Amino acid sequence: MVTDVDLSVRIGSLELAYPTLMGSGCYGSGEEFAPFIDLSKIGGVVLKSVTRAPRLGNPTPRLVQTPAGMLNAIGLQNPGIDWYLEHDVAKFASRPCAVIGSVAGFSVDDYAYVAERLAARDEIHALELNISCPNVAAEGETFACDPRLTARVVKTVRATTDKTLIVKLSPNVTDIAGIAREAESAGADALAVINTVRGMAIDVNAWKPRLGNVTGGLSGPAIRPVAVLAVYEVARAVRIPIVGQGGIETASDALEFLLAGASAISIGTGNFTDPRIPVRIVEELHAYLAARGVRSLREIVGKANVGFANPYQYEGDEG
Amino acid sequence: MRALQSPASVHDVLVLDRTELAPGVVLLGFHAPQLAAVTQPGQFVMAVPPGGERAAVALGIYEAQGDRASVMFFVCGPRTREFAGLREGDRFSVSGPLGNGFTLDGAKNVAIVAGGVGIASVLLPAQALVRSHVRTRLFYGARTAELLVDRERFEREGCEVICATDDGSFGHRGFITQALAATEDKPDLILACGPSPMLRATAFVAGELGVAAQLSLEETFACGVGGCWGCVVPLDRNSAQAPGFPGQDEGGSEVVYARICKEGPVFWAHELRW
Repeated sequence: MVTDVDLSVRIGSLELAYPTLMGSGCYGSGEEFAPFIDLSKIGGVVLKSVTRAPRLGNPTPRLVQTPAGMLNAIGLQNPGIDWYLEHDVAKFASRPCAVIGSVAGFSVDDYAYVAERLAARDEIHALELNISCPNVAAEGETFACDPRLTARVVKTVRATTDKTLIVKLSPNVTDIAGIAREAESAGADALAVINTVRGMAIDVNAWKPRLGNVTGGLSGPAIRPVAVLAVYEVARAVRIPIVGQGGIETASDALEFLLAGASAISIGTGNFTDPRIPVRIVEELHAYLAARGVRSLREIVGKANVGFANPYQYEGDEG
Repeated sequence: MRALQSPASVHDVLVLDRTELAPGVVLLGFHAPQLAAVTQPGQFVMAVPPGGERAAVALGIYEAQGDRASVMFFVCGPRTREFAGLREGDRFSVSGPLGNGFTLDGAKNVAIVAGGVGIASVLLPAQALVRSHVRTRLFYGARTAELLVDRERFEREGCEVICATDDGSFGHRGFITQALAATEDKPDLILACGPSPMLRATAFVAGELGVAAQLSLEETFACGVGGCWGCVVPLDRNSAQAPGFPGQDEGGSEVVYARICKEGPVFWAHELRW
Protein backbone atom coordinates (compact mmCIF):
# COMPACT_ATOMS: atom_id res chain seq x y z
CA MET A 1 0.00 0.00 0.00
CA VAL A 2 1.42 3.37 -0.99
CA THR A 3 -0.22 6.65 -0.16
CA ASP A 4 1.69 8.90 -2.51
CA VAL A 5 0.44 8.19 -6.02
CA ASP A 6 1.41 10.45 -8.90
CA LEU A 7 -1.57 11.00 -11.16
CA SER A 8 -0.01 13.79 -13.20
CA VAL A 9 0.53 13.30 -16.90
CA ARG A 10 2.35 15.09 -19.65
CA ILE A 11 0.82 15.50 -23.10
CA GLY A 12 3.38 17.08 -25.37
CA SER A 13 4.56 20.08 -23.37
CA LEU A 14 1.28 20.28 -21.48
CA GLU A 15 1.48 19.27 -17.82
CA LEU A 16 -1.75 18.02 -16.31
CA ALA A 17 -2.13 17.64 -12.55
CA TYR A 18 -4.77 14.98 -13.16
CA PRO A 19 -5.29 12.65 -16.12
CA THR A 20 -8.84 13.88 -16.70
CA LEU A 21 -9.87 16.18 -19.51
CA MET A 22 -13.44 17.31 -20.10
CA GLY A 23 -14.51 16.57 -23.65
CA SER A 24 -14.98 19.33 -26.19
CA GLY A 25 -18.57 20.42 -26.73
CA CYS A 26 -19.71 18.75 -23.52
CA TYR A 27 -18.41 21.18 -20.96
CA GLY A 28 -18.86 24.68 -22.36
CA SER A 29 -15.83 26.58 -21.14
CA GLY A 30 -15.86 24.97 -17.71
CA GLU A 31 -17.63 27.76 -15.85
CA GLU A 32 -21.00 26.15 -16.57
CA PHE A 33 -20.00 23.26 -14.32
CA ALA A 34 -18.15 25.27 -11.67
CA PRO A 35 -21.13 25.25 -9.26
CA PHE A 36 -21.05 21.45 -9.17
CA ILE A 37 -17.39 20.50 -9.19
CA ASP A 38 -14.04 21.87 -8.07
CA LEU A 39 -12.32 22.62 -11.38
CA SER A 40 -8.92 22.50 -9.68
CA LYS A 41 -9.50 18.76 -9.27
CA ILE A 42 -9.64 18.05 -13.00
CA GLY A 43 -6.82 17.96 -15.49
CA GLY A 44 -8.30 20.37 -17.96
CA VAL A 45 -11.18 21.51 -20.10
CA VAL A 46 -11.25 21.07 -23.85
CA LEU A 47 -13.29 24.06 -24.98
CA LYS A 48 -16.12 23.92 -27.45
CA SER A 49 -14.84 23.96 -31.03
CA VAL A 50 -14.52 27.32 -32.71
CA THR A 51 -14.57 27.97 -36.46
CA ARG A 52 -13.46 30.84 -38.68
CA ALA A 53 -16.98 32.17 -39.26
CA PRO A 54 -19.88 32.19 -36.78
CA ARG A 55 -22.14 29.16 -37.05
CA LEU A 56 -25.83 29.02 -36.19
CA GLY A 57 -25.64 25.26 -35.72
CA ASN A 58 -28.07 22.54 -36.70
CA PRO A 59 -31.87 22.67 -36.55
CA THR A 60 -33.55 21.09 -33.54
CA PRO A 61 -33.96 18.52 -32.12
CA ARG A 62 -30.25 18.20 -31.53
CA LEU A 63 -30.28 15.48 -28.89
CA VAL A 64 -31.82 12.04 -28.54
CA GLN A 65 -31.38 9.70 -25.61
CA THR A 66 -30.59 6.18 -26.78
CA PRO A 67 -29.80 2.95 -24.91
CA ALA A 68 -26.70 3.53 -22.76
CA GLY A 69 -25.90 6.73 -24.57
CA MET A 70 -27.13 9.62 -26.63
CA LEU A 71 -27.05 10.98 -30.14
CA ASN A 72 -26.17 14.60 -30.71
CA ALA A 73 -26.05 16.81 -33.75
CA ILE A 74 -25.25 20.30 -32.50
CA GLY A 75 -23.51 21.37 -35.69
CA LEU A 76 -20.62 23.38 -34.23
CA GLN A 77 -22.74 26.34 -33.10
CA ASN A 78 -20.17 28.97 -32.16
CA PRO A 79 -19.55 32.71 -32.45
CA GLY A 80 -16.62 32.49 -34.84
CA ILE A 81 -12.97 33.14 -33.98
CA ASP A 82 -13.13 36.96 -34.08
CA TRP A 83 -15.88 37.29 -31.49
CA TYR A 84 -14.42 34.43 -29.49
CA LEU A 85 -11.01 36.06 -29.16
CA GLU A 86 -12.48 39.43 -28.36
CA HIS A 87 -15.16 38.43 -25.83
CA ASP A 88 -14.62 34.92 -24.51
CA VAL A 89 -10.98 33.90 -24.31
CA ALA A 90 -9.91 36.37 -21.60
CA LYS A 91 -12.37 34.73 -19.20
CA PHE A 92 -10.53 31.41 -19.46
CA ALA A 93 -7.50 32.80 -17.61
CA SER A 94 -9.23 32.22 -14.29
CA ARG A 95 -9.72 28.47 -14.79
CA PRO A 96 -7.74 26.51 -12.16
CA CYS A 97 -6.94 23.76 -14.67
CA ALA A 98 -5.52 23.38 -18.16
CA VAL A 99 -7.48 25.09 -20.92
CA ILE A 100 -7.33 23.45 -24.33
CA GLY A 101 -8.74 25.28 -27.32
CA SER A 102 -10.60 23.27 -29.94
CA VAL A 103 -10.37 24.17 -33.60
CA ALA A 104 -12.81 23.08 -36.31
CA GLY A 105 -12.93 24.04 -39.96
CA PHE A 106 -13.87 23.29 -43.51
CA SER A 107 -10.53 23.72 -45.25
CA VAL A 108 -6.88 23.38 -44.35
CA ASP A 109 -6.66 27.15 -44.48
CA ASP A 110 -9.55 27.51 -42.00
CA TYR A 111 -7.84 25.25 -39.50
CA ALA A 112 -4.52 27.03 -39.79
CA TYR A 113 -6.10 30.48 -39.51
CA VAL A 114 -8.12 29.67 -36.40
CA ALA A 115 -5.38 27.58 -34.77
CA GLU A 116 -2.72 30.25 -35.17
CA ARG A 117 -4.88 33.00 -33.69
CA LEU A 118 -6.14 30.85 -30.85
CA ALA A 119 -2.75 29.42 -29.94
CA ALA A 120 -1.30 32.93 -29.79
CA ARG A 121 -3.35 33.61 -26.66
CA ASP A 122 -1.80 32.92 -23.25
CA GLU A 123 -5.15 31.75 -21.87
CA ILE A 124 -5.01 28.77 -24.23
CA HIS A 125 -2.51 26.16 -23.07
CA ALA A 126 -2.85 23.66 -25.90
CA LEU A 127 -4.91 22.98 -29.00
CA GLU A 128 -7.16 20.15 -30.01
CA LEU A 129 -7.78 19.79 -33.70
CA ASN A 130 -11.36 18.64 -34.26
CA ILE A 131 -11.04 17.04 -37.67
CA SER A 132 -13.73 14.52 -36.84
CA CYS A 133 -17.05 16.28 -36.20
CA PRO A 134 -19.72 14.02 -37.74
CA ASN A 135 -22.43 16.66 -37.65
CA VAL A 136 -21.55 19.25 -40.26
CA ALA A 137 -22.28 18.96 -43.93
CA ALA A 138 -19.74 17.00 -45.95
CA GLU A 139 -16.36 18.47 -45.07
CA GLY A 140 -16.41 18.26 -41.25
CA GLU A 141 -15.38 14.66 -40.80
CA THR A 142 -13.68 14.27 -44.16
CA PHE A 143 -10.31 15.27 -42.76
CA ALA A 144 -10.24 12.50 -40.19
CA CYS A 145 -11.49 9.94 -42.71
CA ASP A 146 -8.74 10.56 -45.26
CA PRO A 147 -5.11 9.85 -44.32
CA ARG A 148 -3.71 12.38 -46.83
CA LEU A 149 -6.04 15.17 -45.67
CA THR A 150 -5.23 14.35 -42.05
CA ALA A 151 -1.55 14.68 -42.83
CA ARG A 152 -2.02 17.96 -44.68
CA VAL A 153 -4.15 19.68 -42.06
CA VAL A 154 -1.95 18.54 -39.16
CA LYS A 155 1.24 19.57 -40.94
CA THR A 156 -0.14 23.00 -41.79
CA VAL A 157 -1.44 23.66 -38.29
CA ARG A 158 1.75 22.31 -36.75
CA ALA A 159 3.66 25.05 -38.52
CA THR A 160 1.54 27.74 -36.85
CA THR A 161 2.22 26.92 -33.19
CA ASP A 162 4.62 25.26 -30.78
CA LYS A 163 1.88 24.61 -28.25
CA THR A 164 0.78 21.04 -27.67
CA LEU A 165 -1.31 19.85 -30.58
CA ILE A 166 -3.84 17.09 -29.95
CA VAL A 167 -5.56 15.65 -33.01
CA LYS A 168 -9.01 14.18 -32.44
CA LEU A 169 -9.67 11.11 -34.54
CA SER A 170 -12.90 9.68 -35.90
CA PRO A 171 -13.95 6.10 -35.26
CA ASN A 172 -15.92 6.18 -38.50
CA VAL A 173 -13.02 4.87 -40.58
CA THR A 174 -11.72 1.55 -41.80
CA ASP A 175 -8.19 1.91 -40.45
CA ILE A 176 -7.86 4.29 -37.50
CA ALA A 177 -4.27 3.16 -36.85
CA GLY A 178 -3.22 4.26 -40.34
CA ILE A 179 -4.73 7.68 -39.85
CA ALA A 180 -3.11 7.94 -36.42
CA ARG A 181 0.29 7.26 -38.02
CA GLU A 182 -0.28 10.04 -40.56
CA ALA A 183 -1.18 12.50 -37.78
CA GLU A 184 1.93 11.50 -35.82
CA SER A 185 4.22 11.86 -38.84
CA ALA A 186 2.70 15.26 -39.60
CA GLY A 187 3.67 16.55 -36.18
CA ALA A 188 0.79 15.85 -33.77
CA ASP A 189 1.87 15.78 -30.12
CA ALA A 190 -1.01 13.59 -29.06
CA LEU A 191 -4.19 11.95 -30.33
CA ALA A 192 -7.69 12.11 -28.90
CA VAL A 193 -9.40 8.78 -29.51
CA ILE A 194 -12.34 8.78 -30.29
CA ASN A 195 -14.90 11.31 -31.45
CA THR A 196 -18.53 10.14 -31.62
CA VAL A 197 -19.73 7.19 -33.67
CA ARG A 198 -22.17 8.10 -36.44
CA GLY A 199 -25.71 7.06 -35.71
CA MET A 200 -29.38 7.64 -36.37
CA ALA A 201 -32.68 7.18 -34.58
CA ILE A 202 -36.13 7.21 -36.16
CA ASP A 203 -39.48 8.14 -34.65
CA VAL A 204 -41.68 5.21 -35.69
CA ASN A 205 -44.89 7.15 -35.06
CA ALA A 206 -43.92 10.23 -37.04
CA TRP A 207 -41.94 8.23 -39.64
CA LYS A 208 -39.09 10.67 -39.53
CA PRO A 209 -35.59 10.95 -38.05
CA ARG A 210 -35.45 12.03 -34.43
CA LEU A 211 -32.62 14.51 -35.07
CA GLY A 212 -33.10 17.71 -37.02
CA ASN A 213 -29.83 16.91 -38.76
CA VAL A 214 -31.09 13.37 -39.55
CA THR A 215 -27.80 11.79 -38.45
CA GLY A 216 -25.77 12.41 -35.34
CA GLY A 217 -22.88 11.26 -33.22
CA LEU A 218 -23.34 8.54 -30.62
CA SER A 219 -21.64 8.94 -27.25
CA GLY A 220 -21.88 7.43 -23.78
CA PRO A 221 -21.30 3.92 -22.43
CA ALA A 222 -22.78 2.48 -25.64
CA ILE A 223 -19.55 3.26 -27.50
CA ARG A 224 -17.05 2.39 -24.78
CA PRO A 225 -15.89 -0.98 -26.19
CA VAL A 226 -15.54 0.62 -29.64
CA ALA A 227 -13.39 3.34 -28.12
CA VAL A 228 -11.25 0.99 -26.04
CA LEU A 229 -10.43 -1.03 -29.15
CA ALA A 230 -9.60 2.12 -31.10
CA VAL A 231 -7.19 3.22 -28.35
CA TYR A 232 -5.65 -0.24 -28.27
CA GLU A 233 -5.09 -0.22 -32.02
CA VAL A 234 -3.78 3.34 -32.14
CA ALA A 235 -1.45 2.72 -29.20
CA ARG A 236 0.22 -0.04 -31.16
CA ALA A 237 0.66 2.23 -34.17
CA VAL A 238 2.10 5.42 -32.66
CA ARG A 239 4.52 6.57 -29.96
CA ILE A 240 2.77 9.84 -29.04
CA PRO A 241 0.35 9.98 -26.06
CA ILE A 242 -3.32 9.16 -26.49
CA VAL A 243 -6.25 10.80 -24.72
CA GLY A 244 -8.81 8.01 -24.50
CA GLN A 245 -12.48 8.82 -24.54
CA GLY A 246 -15.85 7.23 -25.13
CA GLY A 247 -18.39 6.47 -22.41
CA ILE A 248 -16.10 6.82 -19.39
CA GLU A 249 -18.12 7.13 -16.17
CA THR A 250 -16.05 5.31 -13.54
CA ALA A 251 -12.42 4.68 -12.61
CA SER A 252 -12.85 1.15 -13.92
CA ASP A 253 -13.89 2.55 -17.30
CA ALA A 254 -10.92 4.92 -17.23
CA LEU A 255 -8.56 2.06 -16.38
CA GLU A 256 -9.68 0.13 -19.45
CA PHE A 257 -8.52 3.04 -21.59
CA LEU A 258 -5.27 3.50 -19.69
CA LEU A 259 -4.43 -0.20 -19.88
CA ALA A 260 -5.29 -0.17 -23.59
CA GLY A 261 -2.67 2.52 -24.09
CA ALA A 262 -4.15 5.92 -23.26
CA SER A 263 -2.01 8.30 -21.19
CA ALA A 264 -4.99 10.39 -20.14
CA ILE A 265 -8.75 10.18 -20.47
CA SER A 266 -11.52 12.53 -21.39
CA ILE A 267 -15.03 12.65 -19.98
CA GLY A 268 -17.90 14.03 -22.01
CA THR A 269 -21.35 12.52 -21.77
CA GLY A 270 -20.54 11.21 -18.29
CA ASN A 271 -20.77 14.75 -16.99
CA PHE A 272 -24.42 14.73 -18.00
CA THR A 273 -25.05 11.69 -15.85
CA ASP A 274 -23.45 13.25 -12.81
CA PRO A 275 -21.16 16.31 -12.81
CA ARG A 276 -19.13 14.83 -9.94
CA ILE A 277 -17.90 11.90 -12.04
CA PRO A 278 -14.48 13.43 -12.94
CA VAL A 279 -13.52 14.02 -9.31
CA ARG A 280 -14.81 10.61 -8.28
CA ILE A 281 -12.71 8.97 -11.01
CA VAL A 282 -9.56 10.68 -9.77
CA GLU A 283 -10.23 9.59 -6.18
CA GLU A 284 -10.93 6.02 -7.26
CA LEU A 285 -7.88 5.87 -9.55
CA HIS A 286 -5.76 7.01 -6.64
CA ALA A 287 -7.19 4.31 -4.38
CA TYR A 288 -6.83 1.65 -7.07
CA LEU A 289 -3.18 2.41 -7.71
CA ALA A 290 -2.34 2.84 -4.03
CA ALA A 291 -3.88 -0.53 -3.19
CA ARG A 292 -1.66 -2.16 -5.81
CA GLY A 293 1.50 -0.37 -4.81
CA VAL A 294 1.68 1.53 -8.09
CA ARG A 295 3.32 4.90 -7.54
CA SER A 296 2.52 6.54 -10.83
CA LEU A 297 -0.38 6.35 -13.25
CA ARG A 298 2.18 6.38 -16.07
CA GLU A 299 3.32 2.89 -15.04
CA ILE A 300 0.07 1.25 -16.14
CA VAL A 301 -0.35 2.89 -19.54
CA GLY A 302 -0.71 0.23 -22.22
CA LYS A 303 -0.18 -2.62 -19.76
CA ALA A 304 -3.21 -4.65 -20.74
CA ASN A 305 -1.74 -8.14 -20.85
CA VAL A 306 -3.31 -9.50 -23.98
CA GLY A 307 -1.38 -12.76 -23.87
CA PHE A 308 -2.83 -15.45 -26.05
CA ALA A 309 -6.01 -13.47 -26.46
CA ASN A 310 -4.18 -11.11 -28.79
CA PRO A 311 -5.85 -11.59 -32.16
CA TYR A 312 -2.72 -10.38 -33.91
CA GLN A 313 -0.76 -13.32 -32.60
CA TYR A 314 -3.38 -15.63 -34.08
CA GLU A 315 -3.23 -14.15 -37.53
CA GLY A 316 -2.96 -16.98 -40.02
CA ASP A 317 -3.29 -19.54 -37.25
CA GLU A 318 -5.87 -22.12 -38.20
CA GLY A 319 -6.34 -23.16 -34.58
CA MET B 1 -36.97 36.60 -16.94
CA ARG B 2 -34.67 36.94 -13.99
CA ALA B 3 -31.31 38.17 -15.10
CA LEU B 4 -29.36 36.48 -12.35
CA GLN B 5 -29.48 32.79 -11.71
CA SER B 6 -29.78 31.49 -8.20
CA PRO B 7 -26.76 29.84 -6.66
CA ALA B 8 -26.86 26.23 -7.81
CA SER B 9 -25.05 23.21 -6.43
CA VAL B 10 -25.27 19.43 -6.24
CA HIS B 11 -27.54 18.11 -3.51
CA ASP B 12 -27.69 14.54 -2.24
CA VAL B 13 -31.28 14.24 -1.17
CA LEU B 14 -33.43 11.87 0.84
CA VAL B 15 -36.88 10.93 -0.44
CA LEU B 16 -39.51 12.04 2.09
CA ASP B 17 -42.67 11.07 0.27
CA ARG B 18 -43.84 9.60 -3.01
CA THR B 19 -47.40 9.92 -4.26
CA GLU B 20 -48.94 8.67 -7.48
CA LEU B 21 -51.39 11.49 -8.15
CA ALA B 22 -52.85 9.81 -11.23
CA PRO B 23 -51.81 6.81 -13.29
CA GLY B 24 -48.23 7.59 -14.36
CA VAL B 25 -48.06 10.98 -12.62
CA VAL B 26 -45.71 10.89 -9.65
CA LEU B 27 -44.99 13.53 -7.00
CA LEU B 28 -41.66 13.01 -5.26
CA GLY B 29 -40.89 15.03 -2.15
CA PHE B 30 -37.36 15.17 -0.81
CA HIS B 31 -35.29 16.74 1.95
CA ALA B 32 -33.35 19.63 0.40
CA PRO B 33 -33.35 22.72 2.62
CA GLN B 34 -30.62 24.56 0.71
CA LEU B 35 -32.30 23.96 -2.62
CA ALA B 36 -35.71 24.98 -1.29
CA ALA B 37 -34.26 28.18 0.14
CA VAL B 38 -32.89 29.51 -3.13
CA THR B 39 -35.36 28.20 -5.73
CA GLN B 40 -37.15 30.80 -7.84
CA PRO B 41 -40.50 30.15 -9.56
CA GLY B 42 -39.97 28.37 -12.87
CA GLN B 43 -36.58 26.84 -12.14
CA PHE B 44 -35.69 23.18 -12.53
CA VAL B 45 -33.23 20.56 -11.35
CA MET B 46 -31.17 17.99 -13.21
CA ALA B 47 -31.92 14.80 -11.32
CA VAL B 48 -29.55 11.84 -11.54
CA PRO B 49 -31.43 8.57 -12.05
CA PRO B 50 -30.55 6.32 -9.11
CA GLY B 51 -30.06 3.22 -11.26
CA GLY B 52 -26.71 4.14 -12.83
CA GLU B 53 -25.73 4.60 -16.43
CA ARG B 54 -28.34 7.09 -17.54
CA ALA B 55 -28.15 10.79 -18.21
CA ALA B 56 -29.70 13.14 -15.67
CA VAL B 57 -33.21 14.33 -16.41
CA ALA B 58 -34.61 17.85 -16.12
CA LEU B 59 -37.54 18.14 -13.73
CA GLY B 60 -39.44 21.31 -12.84
CA ILE B 61 -39.41 22.17 -9.16
CA TYR B 62 -43.01 21.86 -7.96
CA GLU B 63 -42.75 22.81 -4.31
CA ALA B 64 -39.98 24.46 -2.32
CA GLN B 65 -40.74 25.20 1.28
CA GLY B 66 -38.73 24.80 4.46
CA ASP B 67 -36.69 21.62 4.35
CA ARG B 68 -38.65 20.06 1.50
CA ALA B 69 -38.69 20.40 -2.27
CA SER B 70 -40.58 18.25 -4.72
CA VAL B 71 -40.73 17.35 -8.38
CA MET B 72 -43.68 16.05 -10.35
CA PHE B 73 -43.34 14.09 -13.55
CA PHE B 74 -45.12 11.84 -16.00
CA VAL B 75 -43.55 8.40 -16.34
CA CYS B 76 -42.65 8.26 -20.00
CA GLY B 77 -39.31 6.43 -20.29
CA PRO B 78 -36.61 4.49 -18.49
CA ARG B 79 -35.32 7.42 -16.49
CA THR B 80 -38.65 8.64 -15.15
CA ARG B 81 -39.49 4.98 -14.43
CA GLU B 82 -36.42 4.83 -12.19
CA PHE B 83 -37.52 7.90 -10.29
CA ALA B 84 -41.04 6.54 -10.02
CA GLY B 85 -39.59 3.47 -8.31
CA LEU B 86 -38.07 5.51 -5.47
CA ARG B 87 -39.61 5.23 -2.01
CA GLU B 88 -39.38 7.11 1.28
CA GLY B 89 -35.83 6.78 2.64
CA ASP B 90 -34.20 6.29 -0.76
CA ARG B 91 -31.52 8.71 -1.92
CA PHE B 92 -30.71 10.38 -5.19
CA SER B 93 -28.94 13.55 -6.27
CA VAL B 94 -30.00 16.70 -8.02
CA SER B 95 -28.13 19.69 -9.46
CA GLY B 96 -29.93 22.95 -9.11
CA PRO B 97 -31.82 25.13 -9.02
CA LEU B 98 -31.17 25.86 -12.69
CA GLY B 99 -32.38 28.20 -15.39
CA ASN B 100 -34.16 31.52 -15.50
CA GLY B 101 -37.72 31.36 -14.24
CA PHE B 102 -40.81 33.55 -14.46
CA THR B 103 -40.71 37.32 -14.01
CA LEU B 104 -43.67 38.33 -11.90
CA ASP B 105 -42.88 41.99 -11.18
CA GLY B 106 -45.60 44.53 -11.77
CA ALA B 107 -48.39 42.14 -12.77
CA LYS B 108 -51.84 42.76 -11.28
CA ASN B 109 -53.95 40.11 -12.98
CA VAL B 110 -52.20 36.95 -14.05
CA ALA B 111 -53.48 33.99 -16.04
CA ILE B 112 -51.41 30.84 -15.60
CA VAL B 113 -51.94 28.26 -18.33
CA ALA B 114 -50.92 24.68 -17.56
CA GLY B 115 -51.28 21.59 -19.68
CA GLY B 116 -50.98 18.13 -18.18
CA VAL B 117 -47.87 17.67 -16.11
CA GLY B 118 -46.85 21.22 -17.07
CA ILE B 119 -48.62 21.97 -13.81
CA ALA B 120 -45.31 20.94 -12.19
CA SER B 121 -43.69 24.29 -12.98
CA VAL B 122 -46.48 26.69 -12.05
CA LEU B 123 -47.23 26.14 -8.37
CA LEU B 124 -44.30 28.29 -7.22
CA PRO B 125 -45.25 31.29 -9.38
CA ALA B 126 -48.89 30.89 -8.33
CA GLN B 127 -47.91 30.95 -4.66
CA ALA B 128 -45.64 33.95 -5.16
CA LEU B 129 -48.37 35.87 -6.96
CA VAL B 130 -51.06 35.11 -4.39
CA ARG B 131 -48.64 36.13 -1.63
CA SER B 132 -48.28 39.48 -3.38
CA HIS B 133 -52.08 39.82 -3.56
CA VAL B 134 -52.12 39.50 -7.34
CA ARG B 135 -55.33 38.17 -8.90
CA THR B 136 -54.22 34.72 -10.09
CA ARG B 137 -56.20 32.36 -12.25
CA LEU B 138 -55.09 28.91 -13.28
CA PHE B 139 -56.27 27.71 -16.68
CA TYR B 140 -55.63 24.00 -16.38
CA GLY B 141 -56.09 21.50 -19.18
CA ALA B 142 -55.57 17.76 -19.38
CA ARG B 143 -56.82 14.80 -21.36
CA THR B 144 -59.19 13.60 -18.63
CA ALA B 145 -60.46 14.72 -15.21
CA GLU B 146 -58.18 12.14 -13.59
CA LEU B 147 -55.11 13.84 -15.06
CA LEU B 148 -56.03 17.25 -13.65
CA VAL B 149 -53.75 16.43 -10.75
CA ASP B 150 -53.55 18.57 -7.61
CA ARG B 151 -56.25 20.94 -8.92
CA GLU B 152 -57.64 21.53 -5.42
CA ARG B 153 -54.19 22.51 -4.20
CA PHE B 154 -54.26 25.60 -6.40
CA GLU B 155 -57.72 26.49 -5.09
CA ARG B 156 -56.45 26.16 -1.53
CA GLU B 157 -53.50 28.39 -2.41
CA GLY B 158 -55.96 31.09 -3.44
CA CYS B 159 -56.14 30.72 -7.21
CA GLU B 160 -59.31 30.70 -9.23
CA VAL B 161 -59.10 27.46 -11.22
CA ILE B 162 -60.65 27.05 -14.67
CA CYS B 163 -60.38 23.58 -16.17
CA ALA B 164 -60.75 21.92 -19.53
CA THR B 165 -60.47 18.28 -20.55
CA ASP B 166 -60.26 16.69 -23.97
CA ASP B 167 -63.16 14.38 -23.16
CA GLY B 168 -65.25 16.89 -21.22
CA SER B 169 -65.02 14.75 -18.05
CA PHE B 170 -64.33 17.91 -16.05
CA GLY B 171 -64.65 21.60 -16.85
CA HIS B 172 -64.84 22.80 -20.43
CA ARG B 173 -64.64 20.24 -23.20
CA GLY B 174 -61.72 21.06 -25.47
CA PHE B 175 -58.47 22.92 -25.14
CA ILE B 176 -57.68 25.13 -22.15
CA THR B 177 -56.41 27.81 -24.51
CA GLN B 178 -59.99 28.14 -25.84
CA ALA B 179 -61.11 28.96 -22.31
CA LEU B 180 -58.29 31.50 -22.06
CA ALA B 181 -59.32 33.11 -25.34
CA ALA B 182 -62.94 33.35 -24.15
CA THR B 183 -62.17 35.08 -20.85
CA GLU B 184 -63.82 38.44 -20.34
CA ASP B 185 -61.49 39.42 -17.55
CA LYS B 186 -58.38 40.20 -19.55
CA PRO B 187 -55.15 39.40 -17.68
CA ASP B 188 -52.12 41.70 -17.87
CA LEU B 189 -49.67 38.78 -17.89
CA ILE B 190 -49.86 35.18 -19.00
CA LEU B 191 -47.54 32.42 -17.77
CA ALA B 192 -47.64 28.99 -19.39
CA CYS B 193 -46.12 25.55 -19.11
CA GLY B 194 -47.24 22.48 -20.99
CA PRO B 195 -46.94 20.61 -24.25
CA SER B 196 -45.58 22.48 -27.24
CA PRO B 197 -48.92 22.77 -29.14
CA MET B 198 -50.50 24.30 -26.04
CA LEU B 199 -47.64 26.78 -25.69
CA ARG B 200 -47.96 27.81 -29.33
CA ALA B 201 -51.72 28.23 -28.91
CA THR B 202 -51.10 30.26 -25.75
CA ALA B 203 -48.68 32.50 -27.64
CA PHE B 204 -51.32 32.99 -30.34
CA VAL B 205 -54.10 33.81 -27.86
CA ALA B 206 -51.78 36.17 -25.95
CA GLY B 207 -51.06 37.95 -29.22
CA GLU B 208 -54.78 38.27 -29.98
CA LEU B 209 -55.47 39.60 -26.50
CA GLY B 210 -52.48 41.92 -26.65
CA VAL B 211 -51.09 40.47 -23.42
CA ALA B 212 -47.45 39.58 -22.79
CA ALA B 213 -46.83 35.90 -22.19
CA GLN B 214 -43.96 33.97 -20.67
CA LEU B 215 -43.63 30.37 -21.80
CA SER B 216 -41.69 27.67 -19.97
CA LEU B 217 -40.27 25.46 -22.71
CA GLU B 218 -39.33 21.83 -22.56
CA GLU B 219 -36.74 20.03 -24.67
CA THR B 220 -34.38 17.12 -24.21
CA PHE B 221 -31.47 18.40 -22.14
CA ALA B 222 -28.07 16.75 -21.96
CA CYS B 223 -26.09 18.90 -19.53
CA GLY B 224 -28.83 21.23 -18.27
CA VAL B 225 -26.29 23.95 -17.47
CA GLY B 226 -25.50 25.54 -20.84
CA GLY B 227 -22.44 23.47 -21.67
CA CYS B 228 -23.54 21.45 -24.70
CA TRP B 229 -25.90 23.63 -26.79
CA GLY B 230 -28.22 20.70 -27.37
CA CYS B 231 -31.52 22.23 -26.20
CA VAL B 232 -31.77 25.39 -28.25
CA VAL B 233 -34.75 27.36 -29.52
CA PRO B 234 -34.73 30.08 -32.20
CA LEU B 235 -35.00 33.48 -30.54
CA ASP B 236 -35.07 37.07 -31.77
CA ARG B 237 -31.46 38.14 -31.58
CA ASN B 238 -32.51 41.44 -30.04
CA SER B 239 -34.02 39.65 -27.07
CA ALA B 240 -32.38 40.42 -23.73
CA GLN B 241 -32.09 36.65 -23.37
CA ALA B 242 -30.24 36.10 -26.63
CA PRO B 243 -26.85 34.53 -25.90
CA GLY B 244 -24.17 37.18 -26.17
CA PHE B 245 -22.76 36.61 -29.60
CA PRO B 246 -23.80 37.02 -33.21
CA GLY B 247 -25.96 34.17 -34.37
CA GLN B 248 -26.07 34.89 -38.03
CA ASP B 249 -25.22 32.30 -40.61
CA GLU B 250 -24.27 33.21 -44.15
CA GLY B 251 -27.37 35.35 -44.68
CA GLY B 252 -27.14 37.46 -41.52
CA SER B 253 -30.20 35.97 -39.85
CA GLU B 254 -32.14 37.91 -37.24
CA VAL B 255 -32.49 34.73 -35.26
CA VAL B 256 -30.14 33.20 -32.74
CA TYR B 257 -30.36 29.82 -31.06
CA ALA B 258 -30.74 30.29 -27.32
CA ARG B 259 -30.25 27.48 -24.82
CA ILE B 260 -33.51 26.49 -23.17
CA CYS B 261 -31.62 25.24 -20.10
CA LYS B 262 -29.45 28.32 -19.65
CA GLU B 263 -31.12 31.40 -21.16
CA GLY B 264 -34.54 29.83 -20.43
CA PRO B 265 -36.48 27.70 -19.77
CA VAL B 266 -38.86 30.68 -19.58
CA PHE B 267 -38.98 32.99 -22.62
CA TRP B 268 -41.22 35.84 -23.73
CA ALA B 269 -43.61 34.39 -26.31
CA HIS B 270 -43.23 37.34 -28.69
CA GLU B 271 -39.45 36.87 -28.83
CA LEU B 272 -39.53 33.22 -29.87
CA ARG B 273 -39.03 32.49 -33.57
CA TRP B 274 -40.10 28.84 -33.53
